Amino acid sequence: MAKKKLLGCSLNLIIILAIVFLALTVISFIGSSVGAMILGREPLSFLTVGTPEYHPAAEHPFLGLPITNTMFAAWISILVLFGLFFAATRKMRLIPKGLQNFVEMLVEAAADFIEDPAGKKHGRWFFPVCTTIFLFVVANAWISLIPGFETITVNGEPLLRNANTDLNVPAALAVVSFCFVEYWGFKAKGKSYLKTFFNFGPLGQAIKQIFTGKIKAGLSGLLSGVIAVFAGILEILSHLIRMVSFTFRLFGNMTAGMILVMIMLFLIPWVLPAIFYGLEAFFGFVQAMIFAGLTLGFACAAVMAEE
Amino acid sequence: MEVGAVKLLAAAIVMGLGTFGPGLGIGLLGWGAMNALGRNPEARGPIMTNMILAIAFAEAIAIYALVVAILLIFVA
Repeated sequence: MAKKKLLGCSLNLIIILAIVFLALTVISFIGSSVGAMILGREPLSFLTVGTPEYHPAAEHPFLGLPITNTMFAAWISILVLFGLFFAATRKMRLIPKGLQNFVEMLVEAAADFIEDPAGKKHGRWFFPVCTTIFLFVVANAWISLIPGFETITVNGEPLLRNANTDLNVPAALAVVSFCFVEYWGFKAKGKSYLKTFFNFGPLGQAIKQIFTGKIKAGLSGLLSGVIAVFAGILEILSHLIRMVSFTFRLFGNMTAGMILVMIMLFLIPWVLPAIFYGLEAFFGFVQAMIFAGLTLGFACAAVMAEE
Repeated sequence: MEVGAVKLLAAAIVMGLGTFGPGLGIGLLGWGAMNALGRNPEARGPIMTNMILAIAFAEAIAIYALVVAILLIFVA
């Protein structure tokens, strides 16, 4: 009977590994704080994890400036991105190999993703900002998953923390996104971009129709004209609310992921948190893509010529 | 009732009621996407992209509820 293979290992090995992992999970659950409370005994000393607490980002004042630990992490992710692209673009060849090949693959994937809805001309405008937002958010999210990242402590406070969990970073990115969308709107349409907000055109036409004698068409046009004005004012509100929703979407997802991993580590310290760790990695990527993709979507809506 | 107990209860109610709508919304989006995918499997790329985008919008509402719950438990 030939040995069946699953994932490159024999089936017996997989079964043994599954049993070992299950046993570790159960042991850690029974031995940790929660299991001990259920059974009414003391938790095992090597399995106690501190109760999960959520603090806003801790500050390490430097020369009187409140520098938070998320700021350090953001600087580190900037350095990592800079180093990656610097290393990839030294000694560039026409036929890329190695790191340059990998980075070119990323850039090409991003360019395809952006030029698909935007077209070639507008795609060139949107590419730098959207790709930078994506890379920055993804670097922040994934660097904070490196083991040992949040455990370096200075004076009892962590030195580094996921930059996306600080409310300021998503807020800053949202303001940048809003400013650039409006800028692209003005760049594509000039002053008539303001017509999306202050839409007095249909109302003016309806009033002209009333005065030139077409009463029935003019009156119905009057109603739709007033509605168009209100819709324009709601557009202003919708553009401003986008900043709020961008901020809380990214902040909430990243903070919720961080708290989830903390709580899982508290409940079942062994084996099981790896699943949530993987989920956190996936969510970091998805949220980055959503931030950049929504910026792209709003930008496309802003530059699209009215048909 | 003590303040601490009411805060915990309020956080639980916020999450319970707040994720009801977005859960339903995401399910409807998935239903529409599966329908579209079944009718036209070749359009897989745009369908999936737009579905993920729309799910992000719906999920943001649930995240607002989560932020309120976090505020209630840890900050208030």
